[in-house]
Formats: sequence, C-alpha cells, structure tokens
Amino acid sequence: MTLEASAALPRRRSPARRLAARLGSRETAAGLAILAVLGLVAALAPVISPHSPEAIDANRVLKGLSWSHPFGSDALGRDVLSRVLFAFRSSLLISLGAVALALVGGIPIGVVCGYFGGWVDAILMRPVDMLLALPALLLALSLITVFGPGRLVAMFAIAVIYVPILARVIRSSVLAVRTEAYVEGARARGASHLSTIARHVVPNAIGPALVQASVLCGFALQIEAALSFLGLGVQPPTPSLGLMLFDGYQVLQQAPWADVFPGLAIALTVVAFNLVGDGLRARLDPLGIAR
Amino acid sequence: MTPRARFVLGRVALTVPTLFAMSVFVFLIIHLVPGDPVRTMLGFRATPENVRTIRASLGLDRPLADQYLSWIGGVFRGDLGEDYISHARLSTLIGQRLPVTLELTLLSMALAIVVGVPLGVLSAAGGRARRLAAHAFTIGGISIPDFWLGTLLVLVFAAKLNWLPPTGWASLARHPFANLRDVTLPVLTLATGEAAYILRTTRASMQETLGRPFVTFLRAKGLPERSIVYPHALRTASLPIVTVAGIQFGVLLGGAIVVEVIFGLPGLGKLIVTSINQRNYPVVQGSVLVVATLFIVVNLATDVAYGWLNPRLGAARE
Repeated sequence: MTLEASAALPRRRSPARRLAARLGSRETAAGLAILAVLGLVAALAPVISPHSPEAIDANRVLKGLSWSHPFGSDALGRDVLSRVLFAFRSSLLISLGAVALALVGGIPIGVVCGYFGGWVDAILMRPVDMLLALPALLLALSLITVFGPGRLVAMFAIAVIYVPILARVIRSSVLAVRTEAYVEGARARGASHLSTIARHVVPNAIGPALVQASVLCGFALQIEAALSFLGLGVQPPTPSLGLMLFDGYQVLQQAPWADVFPGLAIALTVVAFNLVGDGLRARLDPLGIAR
Repeated sequence: MTPRARFVLGRVALTVPTLFAMSVFVFLIIHLVPGDPVRTMLGFRATPENVRTIRASLGLDRPLADQYLSWIGGVFRGDLGEDYISHARLSTLIGQRLPVTLELTLLSMALAIVVGVPLGVLSAAGGRARRLAAHAFTIGGISIPDFWLGTLLVLVFAAKLNWLPPTGWASLARHPFANLRDVTLPVLTLATGEAAYILRTTRASMQETLGRPFVTFLRAKGLPERSIVYPHALRTASLPIVTVAGIQFGVLLGGAIVVEVIFGLPGLGKLIVTSINQRNYPVVQGSVLVVATLFIVVNLATDVAYGWLNPRLGAARE
C-alpha cells in the first residue's frame, strides 16, 4: 500500500458517517434529525394536517384510531392529529420565542458581569440570583398572577425563568475566557472593551450558553404545557399542547389517545433537544459549564 | 472560629438579603397588577362601596412602605393576613395545606434518591448495556413531562387495573394507610423525573471519582471493589448529588403544583392555582411567600451540608 492510498482511507466513509463524526455522535445526529422533522412538521402544519383542527363532528366524538383519523378524535369529534400539529406549532413558537428573549436578556448581563467583575458584577447579579431563589414554576405563576394568563405572558414568564440561568452560564464562561492571552493581547493592542468583547470574548464564551439554550428549548415546551394545563397559560381557542393535555385528561378513560399523543409530542421534542444539547456540550462546552 | 463555622455563618448571612428581596417581590405582586387591583379582584362585584371596603381592609390606601412594614410585621408574628373571599385566616389555610405539599415533595425526593443513587453507582462501573440503560432512563425520565406521566399512571393503575384511586386524599395523621394509598401515584409521578436527574449526577460524579488516584491506590492495596465503591468513592462523589438534590427541590415544589391539581390533593399548589383564577391576591402572596421561603431555607441547608461534607473546604485555608 502506498502512502497516498493509506492517507486516502478515512475519506472512504459514507457521507452519513462523516456527518455523524462532525456532529459528535450518532445520538446528536438522531436529535438533529428529529428536530429537523419536527421543525418541518410545525412549519407545514396548515398544509399537511388532514383535517381542520377546529372542525367539530358530532358523529366522530371520542372515536379511536382509523385511517382517516390516525390519532383518533376528541370529545368534540375534532381530529387529534390535526390538533396536535397545530398545537405543536404554537407551543414550539412560544418555547423558541421564550429562549430567544432569554438569550437577548441573559447574554448581555452575563457578559458584562463576567468581563468587568467588581461592583458591576455585584450589582447586576443580585437581581439575577434573586430570581434563582424562587422555584421556577412559582416565579412563572407570580408573573401570571400580575399580568393575567395568556400566550405572551406565558412566553415572557418562561423567558424570565431562563434569563438568570443563561446569565449565570455565560458569566462563568466569560470568567474563564477573560484571562486568556488573546484577550490580554487585544487589550494591549489598544482595542476598546467593546471591540474586545465583541470579537474575542463573546465568540469564545458563547458555547456553553448555546448548549444550555438548546436544552432549555425542550423544557420550555414542558413549562408552557404545565401552565396551559393549569388554565394559566395559552387560552383557547389558541391551540396548545398543554390545553390538549387538559382536554385529554377529562376523557382519559374513554379516549386515552386524546391525552397520549400530545404528551408524546412534548416528550419527543424534549428528547431531541436534549440529545442535541449533549452533542453540542461535547463540542462547545469542554469545561462543563452548562447544566 | 473554624473555617467550617465561618462558611456556615457566611451562608446564613447571605440568605437574609435574599429572603428580604423575595418578600419585597411577593409584596409587590398585588401592586404590579395593571390598573386597579381591587377592581380586577372584584370583577362585576366592583361597586364603589365594595371597592372602598376591600381597599381599606387590604390597607391599599396607605403609603407603600407602611403597607410593607405592617405586612412583614404580621408575617413575623405568624399572621399572613386573610382570604378576602372566605375571610379565613391565611395562616390556618396554609397551615392545613402545607403538610400535604411537604409530604408529597419529601417522599418523592426520598424515593428518587433511593432509586437514583444506587442505579447511578451501578451504571458508573458497568459496561455498555448498563451505560445504555442508564442513558435511556435518564433521557426518558427527564423528557416526559411529569404531569403527563401522572395522567398515564392514572390511566393504567386507576382506570384500567383499578388498583389505586385516581384522586382523593386521606389525612396522614388520621388514616395513615389510606394516605399511603392516595399518595402512591402522585409520588411516583414526581419521583420518576427526579430519579433520572439524581441518577445522571451520581453516575457522572462516580465515574469521575473512580478514576482518581486514591481509588487506584485502594485497588492496588487489594481492597475488593465493593469496599471501595460505597464507603470511599460514593462519599467523595456525594457532593454534586447533594447540590443537585437541593436545586431539584425547587423543581419538585413546582411540579407538586401541577400534580396536586391532577390528583385533587388539597396542597398549597392547588390553593395557589385556585387563588390565581379567583384573583385572590392575598392568598397567592401568602402561599408564594411560604413556598419560596421553604425553598430558600432548603438551599441554605444544601449549601451547609455541602460545606460540611467537603473536606477541602477549610483544609486549604487552615
């Protein structure tokens, strides 16, 4: 075997294998694949749902699984599959929105605290720690008490739960990056704080926050579902997986499918986000800062 | 003062401002309601006379600082105010419901530890099969929403098999056996996800510990693996487990809220949800204050336990 031939060996792996190797593991690849499918399903809900999610059919009340209604129908004869598709779309949007809001709020706080330290850190982290001193769901419920239940309030409440978590994570990783030679080098070259943060600190410290954010996306779906289940999140007629679980629980004995499928949708999404999070952790968070 | 005592005192001192800030937050709940909270509370019953009476009885017509001081003063005397709908004393109302929530969370945490720690230890040392089993249990336990698991348990054990009641509650003091029966499904619901977290933490921490030089030394000394794992390695590996258990206590308190609603348990969570729906702000404030205080105190206890268990703390400074 010539030297060239042996060097060419690793390139013979299949494209799927190579992709898996780049992503870290088969589990990460599986998580990404599930997320891709779920994302597509959510985006295409109006196109692919077999029936209208609102169409009431008195002849199909609590009917089981069939070809025309693969997930059965609920107490009003509505198609459970179509409802799961629309509810998933709406719940996923709330979760992603909440995490995006939390990143926008948490990253600047964490970066500023970690980079400058001292009294800035002491003052800014006080309220952050204060928020962490309340059980998450209780914090959400307190905000809902104030602003009343609703979709936007639920999203905002989840974001408020997540801001301190993300701020803490990014602060820790900025603390680790701050003392690196390239940061000192940038400062020594006369770069301003702002440009040092933007060009050197944030790109090198953002990894653990992204890992954390991907895991939190999944759990946001759980929190939204819990709030809506309690009647304190999304209000009907806006579709939501939590509301479906509540309706399904009322008819649990006669029509378990109305409860099982929305729950499975949540569990599958959380699994996918967790798998992706674990894979990203191996690549982006070698110090294990994200929880 | 020993370093350990200094650590404990320091943590206690840090808890005081946290408790203060939390109490201000809870106090402000009613004041942050957009518009007039009393009109919102009363809804269609908001005649000018009613509004005036309720506002005066809640003290909302007085200056803010005044209100806070008299409220927090009452709290210190054990008086949380009164439910403006039923006129029951909040201390009585919450006093009746707190034991239910506490029983639920403590039993769930205990079950999660009893299941999660040994499984975590076993999976840390095992081969591929154990690793996969641990991974599947962890991902499954974490991903399944606890209240959905609750509904599935009701479906299987109450509706189909008829082994356990789907809802209901017998008091622990008066009917201990009936209580055990009623608490089984709620505790299983809460403990499953919790056990997954404990398992994951135990496993990671044990793996790290089993690779340390002192374990290699014990093995070289000829100790059987059994006498290494539990007495030596688990003790060292227990620090992160204690921390996670403390953090997760808050998650359990939150989970208890939904689980109480599903199983119809007369706990604080159910009280909070009902009161939010009735816009019964004083009850929400009182209950949130009690649960949050509990959580902060448990966190303090966790930190203190951490300091106690950590031989490095202090040793380095001594």
